[in-house]
Amino acid sequence: MERVAAKNYDVVVIGAGNGGLTAAIRVLQGGFSCLLLEKHNLPGGFATSFKRGRFEFEASLHELNDFGSPEEPGDIRTLFRSLGVEDKIDWIRIPEAYHLITTDKKYDCVMPFGVDAYIEKMEEYCPGSRKSMTEFFELCNEVRDAQTYSNSVNGNTDSNYMKANFPNFIKAGSYSVNEVLDALKMPKKAQDILNAYWCYLGVDCDRMSFLHYGSMVIRYITRDAWMPKMRSHEISLAMDTRIRELGGDIWYQSEAEKILTDDDNKIKGVKLSDGTIINTKHVIANCSPHLVFGKLLEEKSVTEKMVRATNARTFAGRGLTLFLGLNKSAEELGIKSHNYFIYDTADTVKQYDLMRKIDTNHVQATVCLNNAYPECSPKGTCMMYFTTMFMSDDWGNVTEEDYFKAKDRIAEDMINVFERETGCKIRDSIEEICLASPTTYARYCGHPEGVIYGYETCDWDSLMPRMMMMKEDAELFPGLRFAGGYAMRSSGYSSAYVSGDLSGRQTVGDLKREGK
Amino acid sequence: MKFKKQIFGFMDMLRFKKLVPNRREALASGADTPLPKEYRTNILAHKLHPGYMTVELTAIRPLTDRMKEYTFKRLDSDAFPFFRAGEYVSLQGKVGDSLVSRPYSIASSPREALANELVLGIENAGFFSNYLDTQAKVGDQFTMTEPSGEFHYENLRDKKNIACIAGGSGITPFISMAKSMIEGDEDYNMTLFYGARDTKHIAYKDELDELAEKGLKVVYVLSDEEAEGYEHGFISAAVMEKYVDIKDVTFFMCGPKAMYDFVLKELEPYALPIKAIHKDALYCGDRNVENPKTFRLTVHMRDLVYNIDAKENETLLTSMERAGLNAPNKCRAGGCGFCHSKLINGDFVIADGRDGRREADRKFGFIHPCVTYPSSDMEIDVPVAY
Repeated sequence: MERVAAKNYDVVVIGAGNGGLTAAIRVLQGGFSCLLLEKHNLPGGFATSFKRGRFEFEASLHELNDFGSPEEPGDIRTLFRSLGVEDKIDWIRIPEAYHLITTDKKYDCVMPFGVDAYIEKMEEYCPGSRKSMTEFFELCNEVRDAQTYSNSVNGNTDSNYMKANFPNFIKAGSYSVNEVLDALKMPKKAQDILNAYWCYLGVDCDRMSFLHYGSMVIRYITRDAWMPKMRSHEISLAMDTRIRELGGDIWYQSEAEKILTDDDNKIKGVKLSDGTIINTKHVIANCSPHLVFGKLLEEKSVTEKMVRATNARTFAGRGLTLFLGLNKSAEELGIKSHNYFIYDTADTVKQYDLMRKIDTNHVQATVCLNNAYPECSPKGTCMMYFTTMFMSDDWGNVTEEDYFKAKDRIAEDMINVFERETGCKIRDSIEEICLASPTTYARYCGHPEGVIYGYETCDWDSLMPRMMMMKEDAELFPGLRFAGGYAMRSSGYSSAYVSGDLSGRQTVGDLKREGK
Repeated sequence: MKFKKQIFGFMDMLRFKKLVPNRREALASGADTPLPKEYRTNILAHKLHPGYMTVELTAIRPLTDRMKEYTFKRLDSDAFPFFRAGEYVSLQGKVGDSLVSRPYSIASSPREALANELVLGIENAGFFSNYLDTQAKVGDQFTMTEPSGEFHYENLRDKKNIACIAGGSGITPFISMAKSMIEGDEDYNMTLFYGARDTKHIAYKDELDELAEKGLKVVYVLSDEEAEGYEHGFISAAVMEKYVDIKDVTFFMCGPKAMYDFVLKELEPYALPIKAIHKDALYCGDRNVENPKTFRLTVHMRDLVYNIDAKENETLLTSMERAGLNAPNKCRAGGCGFCHSKLINGDFVIADGRDGRREADRKFGFIHPCVTYPSSDMEIDVPVAY
């Protein structure tokens, strides 16, 4: 039944994921009215938690990078501070960077946070790597500084300033991770160990832009990673609370069905699936351009340019996570690390290829949360989650009747791989088990094919050109901006928060210009 | 340091300069074929999780003097979702000016769901079930939520042999679980202990006899009658020992609270781990309060505000339903979180042992109205169900 909402809004944000929540706060802080729409009954999108028996599972967050300590805050802590949510959340520091295990080369390396410690440890595992590792971090520092500058001018960088201050950034900027590491003459083993984080970005290192990878690694290694105590649900509710404090409105269980346009193809409102119409001229979409231009936007306003620009892009990984509540402590089970990366092979190109198919994919990024936060589950228990991705739509072949069995097969494989590679026997201790498949991600967040990483950031569509074309991309449809994993900063928690920050502030800029 | 990849540094610079033109060109040369409207994984997600379904009552048949079986078909699709045997649906309808909903375990099998048939076995034990018993007729339409719940077998957690303990209308999920086993969708060996007063109060006797021929083991335990082929008394450890190895089975229980208390006490000496016993959640009803007060409940639903009465002994959800407000809910046991709502102000009490909220919900003032009773005037922000 059609009904026009009582209030008009300066901005409607579609989707209360990390990007949407941040964008809504920015709009409100800018002094404009904002309605946040969410089809699910909780905020956060992937950033949430769920309970099974005596366990409260983290739904997706492994660690929040670039957070830093209160005294030496990273960019994300600084952002949270400025959003007014930092103090609403209790934080814990992640103890070590990662524990890399590869089946083919039998790597078993535990890497620490801190540049010096990291280089030192690498020298232990790979003698002769010190010089190239030191240069790698110098280069990464320049990358980070250049990006901080770029953000501070909203992507409108001055090329002379860039050349003068960040020459190495520019020179390395068009190359892949492997091309740059080869140029630094880094020994192969050190490259393998350094590349362990690649699955967080979901593109093999022959195609992943060095700038993207380098900027992530430096943020992890120098500023540690942190977690909210009450799982990522604590961040999402802190932001919900902040939005309410600032006078914003949030409607849960309210799915946007259409972005309505007037005769001049300008946005005039948003229609919900139950017919409710909300008048607005600005939309921030915390969802994919595929959804917006393929379904949400009134067809008469969809241009050829939008269609081509959207079709040109490639979906990144489709997600799958196994959650286990175990009735023994991590110590009893011999699980020592917080964060394991377990690969079939240290060769990222080969591994990426194996990840195309369900049957050949045995990759897992596995967290035992108790090793960062012992009190996250009752005494004598521990909690684990195992995440992987599919680099094709193979999951789309799963039938309705085979769905539960397909989930069991993968869960069993993940448990077998973990037991085989770490020697920790966990199977008999399973008290709670749950598996989120691409279908689950599609169900709760609506992403096509259950994609959790937005569009692949590789080759032509890597992070840097996206950032440099931020303004141009937004001109595709004035009044509409994107936030979240599909936006300019690509996927991952920190990136999604930053994209919401950018799109929120830019929308405030649009509104102010209109006011003049 | 000075980074250089090519012989001349300016060539590296030039490559950088091309990043934007390259991307611009790639975006412009994408296909102009229409963007997909649907994706296979999303279609499957919608099949398995349609949210609310519109259903029609197609058959009613008595099972015992207090229990009837209700068969439904979907009107908004030609099949129910495939589900995990043991799950429930919430049946929702209008009784007078009130909206009412109750969770009921599914008695039919997941395969039958695909043939657009879903069966509930319901005992006349409350407001809505009494309405169904006395007034519902074939052809009536209802809203139903998708099958949900955690009360089902897990291959990687549970033992191969399972012992299912049913009391009264608690038999329904086990009919589904037995069928699903025989249809090849579940891998367990099932022994069913079914407690009833006497032979007259055994529901689904014919179906169980048929399932028993195909591999289900059924043990009837009658409390008020002695009969050949039936155990007499309660479902005690001694009775169970005769049929299963208590230390090597996983238990599934569905029935009244008194039965849970009895069986758990019987099992206590075995010191079974928590994971060995699964209990189906029980509906959260009124609480006992002498001379219950009536409070003012202000409910925000999107841009509308309602002022309604809320009785001290009734859950906030019940008060909202009484007032005809379309508030979301599924399990009515505090666990599923579907009714997750924001507390604006007021004092409340949560039913004993039913605080299924996440840690951060408590910190930031969120509640589950299905298990929350008011103890002052209250103001809450609730999503609109459908």
